[in-house]
Amino acid sequence: MSKQLLIDALKGKRTSRAPWLPYAGINSAFLINETAENYLKSPELMAKGVENSAKRYRADGIPLMFDLSVEANAIGCELRWWADNVPSVVSHPCSRMESPGQLGLKVPTRESGRWPVVLEAGRLSKPGLDALDCAMVGLCCGPLTLASHLAGVRIFTDVYKNKEFARDMLEFAGEVIAASAQFYAEMGCEVIGIVDPVASQVRSETFQEFVTPYVQKGLEVIKKAGACSVFLICGDCTKVLEDVCQIGTNAFAIDEQLNLSYVRDLARKYGLGFAGNLKLTLALSLGLISPREDAIVSLAAGGTHGFVLAPG
Amino acid sequence: MPSIEDILKSIHDAVVAYDEEGVKKAAELYIDEGHDALRGITDGLAAGMATVGDLFKAQEYYVPEVLLCAEAMQAGLDILTPHLRAGDSKSRGRVVLGTIQGDIHDIGKNIVKLMLEISGFTVYDLGTNVPYQDFVDELVRTEAELVGISAMMTTTMMGMKKVIQLVREARPEVGILIGGAPVSREIVKMFKADGFALSASDVVDEVKRVLALRTA
Repeated sequence: MSKQLLIDALKGKRTSRAPWLPYAGINSAFLINETAENYLKSPELMAKGVENSAKRYRADGIPLMFDLSVEANAIGCELRWWADNVPSVVSHPCSRMESPGQLGLKVPTRESGRWPVVLEAGRLSKPGLDALDCAMVGLCCGPLTLASHLAGVRIFTDVYKNKEFARDMLEFAGEVIAASAQFYAEMGCEVIGIVDPVASQVRSETFQEFVTPYVQKGLEVIKKAGACSVFLICGDCTKVLEDVCQIGTNAFAIDEQLNLSYVRDLARKYGLGFAGNLKLTLALSLGLISPREDAIVSLAAGGTHGFVLAPG
Repeated sequence: MPSIEDILKSIHDAVVAYDEEGVKKAAELYIDEGHDALRGITDGLAAGMATVGDLFKAQEYYVPEVLLCAEAMQAGLDILTPHLRAGDSKSRGRVVLGTIQGDIHDIGKNIVKLMLEISGFTVYDLGTNVPYQDFVDELVRTEAELVGISAMMTTTMMGMKKVIQLVREARPEVGILIGGAPVSREIVKMFKADGFALSASDVVDEVKRVLALRTA
C-alpha cells in the first residue's frame, strides 16, 4: 500500500501503477459485524472498521467515513438512522425560505453534532493507517447537496426563482465546508474531498453560479493544510464535467455511469487526477458484470497517468 | 379568436417554458372559450410535461427545470380541474406508489404521481421510506392493478427484490414498475419486475403497457 502513490496520481502525475481507493464507507461496519448506527456512533468501532477495511482491501487510501449527513446534523438537521446504511437527513430548517442567518444557524464547531465522534475516530484511526502506508481521506458534504439538506427540494427551483435566498444558502454552505475541511486537515487527512452528488442534476450555468464559487473557501483550507483536494460527483455528470475540471481541485471522482476513456481525456486536458469507475451497481452489488473484468477494463482505460482506481 | 389547437399549443409551450403565468393565462382563455377541460389537461398540460420528459432524457433539461415545469403545470391544473365533468373523473386504473424503505428521495416519484394523475389514474402515494410489507398491504386495501417502487440509491434499490417477491405472492396479477437513478433494464430483468420508465414522458405509456400485459 502506498499513500504517496495515491497523492501523486491525484495530482495528475504518472505512477508506477494505478493506486486503489476503495470507498469502503458503511461497508466497513458490515465487515466487523456491526450495525451502521452502532458503528457511526462509536469512534472505537469506526477506527477498528477503517483499519480492517484498509488491510482487507489493501488500500492506498481510504475514507474515514462516507456520510454526507454530518454537516447538516451539526447545523441542527434531524437524522433518521438505519441498521444498514448511513443516516438520512429528515428535517430542513430553511424550507420556508428563511435563510441560515435569519434562523440563527451557526457554522459547526468541533463540539457540534457528531463532530466529536468523527474527530476522535480520526485520531484513533491515523496511527494504524500510517502503519499501513494508507492515506486517510476526509469527505465533506458539497455545497448544493448541503443546501438541499437545509432547504429541501425547493433549493432546485430557488436557483432560478429566488436567487438571493439560494445565494445565502450556498454562502453558508461554503463556510460549513471550510470548517469541515479544517477538521479533516487537523485529523491529518492527506486527501480531503468535497462530495456533491446532486450537482450533476443542474445545468452547466447553474453549476458555475451555485457550486463552483462555494467550494473555494474549502479548497483554500485544504491547500493551506498541504492536503490533496478531490471533487466527487455522482450520476451522469457529463454536461457539467468540464465545470468540475475547472473547479480548482487537484482531482475529481465520478460514478459508474460515465465512460472512463472520456473522463481520462478530459482529466489529461486539465492536468488533473481522476478516480473511478468500478460499476458499483452492475458489478459490485449485482454481479451482472464480472467485478474482476470490470476492474481490468477500468485499469486499461484509466492507465497510470493521474488515474486512481475507485468504485464508481 | 384563437383556435382550440392554438390555445392547447399555448398551454403546452408555457409548461415547457416553465411559464406559470403563461399557463394560467392560456388555461383561463381555454375555459372562457368553453372548451373541454379534460382535453386541456391531456392535450395541453400532460403533453407539455411529456415534452419536458423528452428534454430531460436529452439532457437539455435538468431537475430544476423539470420541477419548475411541474409547478407551471400544477397552476394550469388548478384552473382546469374544477371544470371537469362528472364522467371525466373515471379512473383509468389504480396505482400504488412509494419510495422504498431506507430511502427518502421523492422528486422523481412525485413527478410520476403527477403524470399519472393528470392522465386519469388514481394514485395511492405511500410517501417515502415505505416498509416492504406496506406496498402489499396497500395493494390489498385498494385493489390497485399496479405498484410503482422508487429508489434513488443502490443500497435501497436492493430491497425491491423483496417487495417484488412479496407482491407476487400476495397478488400475482398486479403489474410492477420500478424506477429511480440506479434502475436499468438489466435490473428490471434481474429483479423480475414488469417495467420501468426512464422519464416522465415514458411513464404513462409504460403503465398502460404493463397493465395491458397483466390483464391479457
